[in-house]
Amino acid sequence: MFHWLEKNPFFFAVGVFLVIAYAGVVTILPDFMESARPVTGTKPYTVLELAGRQIYIKDSCNACHSQLVRPFKSETDRYGMYSLSGEYAYDRPFLWGSKRTGPDLMRVGNYRTTDWHEYHMLAPQSVVPGSIMPAYKHMFKNNTDIETAYAEALTVKKVFNVPYDQPDMPKLGTYDEAKKALMEEAALIVADMKDPEVKEAFKRGEIKEIVAIIAYLNSLK
Amino acid sequence: MNWLNDNVNVLALLGAAAILILTIGVSWKYIQQMKTDKSSGELTKENWDGIGEYKNPLPIGWALSFLGTMVWALWYFFAGYPLNSYSQIGEYNDEVKSHTKQFESKFSNPDKATLMAMGEGVFLVQCAPCHGVTGDGINGKAANLEQWGNEEAVVHAIVNGAKGSEYPLGEMPAGLLDEQSAKAVAAFMMQEISSVKKSKNPALVEEGRALWATCSACHGEDGKGMEGSAPNLSHYGTPQFVVNVLSTGKKGAIGNMPKFNDGRLTNVQKTAVGTYVSSLAK
Repeated sequence: MFHWLEKNPFFFAVGVFLVIAYAGVVTILPDFMESARPVTGTKPYTVLELAGRQIYIKDSCNACHSQLVRPFKSETDRYGMYSLSGEYAYDRPFLWGSKRTGPDLMRVGNYRTTDWHEYHMLAPQSVVPGSIMPAYKHMFKNNTDIETAYAEALTVKKVFNVPYDQPDMPKLGTYDEAKKALMEEAALIVADMKDPEVKEAFKRGEIKEIVAIIAYLNSLK
Repeated sequence: MNWLNDNVNVLALLGAAAILILTIGVSWKYIQQMKTDKSSGELTKENWDGIGEYKNPLPIGWALSFLGTMVWALWYFFAGYPLNSYSQIGEYNDEVKSHTKQFESKFSNPDKATLMAMGEGVFLVQCAPCHGVTGDGINGKAANLEQWGNEEAVVHAIVNGAKGSEYPLGEMPAGLLDEQSAKAVAAFMMQEISSVKKSKNPALVEEGRALWATCSACHGEDGKGMEGSAPNLSHYGTPQFVVNVLSTGKKGAIGNMPKFNDGRLTNVQKTAVGTYVSSLAK
């Protein structure tokens, strides 16, 4: 049989491939289908949260903050349940990060609130003495780019079949519908905030970046 | 020559010497053999472009280890790896199990000092980011725990109202009683309703008893909150009251407090936080 293989390089290559692929087959295939699916309860981001996520990426929060709770007791004690791959199903791109200069943010929505984030973004040291995080004052000045966030949501809906507009899933609809839902969502966050300028701007119909980033951080659970 | 005291260094040196001696010895043997040896022995049938091969028997040790490796590889391919593979989550579960085994019995009946130490540790990690390292609420950014859960706080809550932890009966409105009556009710509540059983103004207790009807409409005649319709005041001032807040979260006048019921804190740890937090208010 081996003589025959030596004379037939194609089938020899197939044989080599099968032998080498075996390791991958037994390690990857058994639960690939299961773990790649969204975990029950995982939902796509709303447009406001997506806008916040874009700000998170734009300001490179992921350079200092990871979004991955590893399965170690020391981590689950502090951050909560370890991360599952299905929880990232709607993250494009995922923001696992590779370095924790600051704490992990995978489940920050469970233990921080709107008002805390507001103090913290304006002056991190005022709530965390000794923190080396810079202040993000510009988030209170800049307006959120809603169009790009809507475009991203629509794109992933059309291209990747992300389940917007399905039962128990976030509504997307047309841009005007999405904008209306987004304003309602933002109103709840602005109501919990204290900054008078952000509130003033919201009355004029402007959503400051801080509102979107808080919506995103609160959604991380 | 301090570094020679290290076993690893000595071992590495010995290994290096052994490799050197073996290399020299084996090379010398083969160099000598090449000088005198002539090819001999029976040839196999195979012939590749004029190059033949001797029928040399396999060395026994080599053949056995070759076969052994193949047997092991088959076992590892079809049984060893698929059935006993390493799993990160499995290791995590083992870690948690051994941790629980080690500490569950140790802390099953903690004394007050243990609870205080544990509570302070948890407080600094989970609570201090909002309430401050000392629990002072960082200039009004969160509830000042030095003035929370004591008799003065009851007066403050009656006069200014209290936003709740989403109990069915809702928020407590401000100004139910004036300050003087509130003081009396607080005295009555601390001495008769709460399991603290001690008031700072014992003289006012009887006056407060007469005014209790204002409170009992929601909190019940016995102050126990009518089975979850309103906060159970018999726990007021005790660690259990803090534990209740940890489990329900709070939407207060200052801001929101998240729930702590996602399993990050065990019941003992919650009680420990309660003990520590109640100790902050004098």
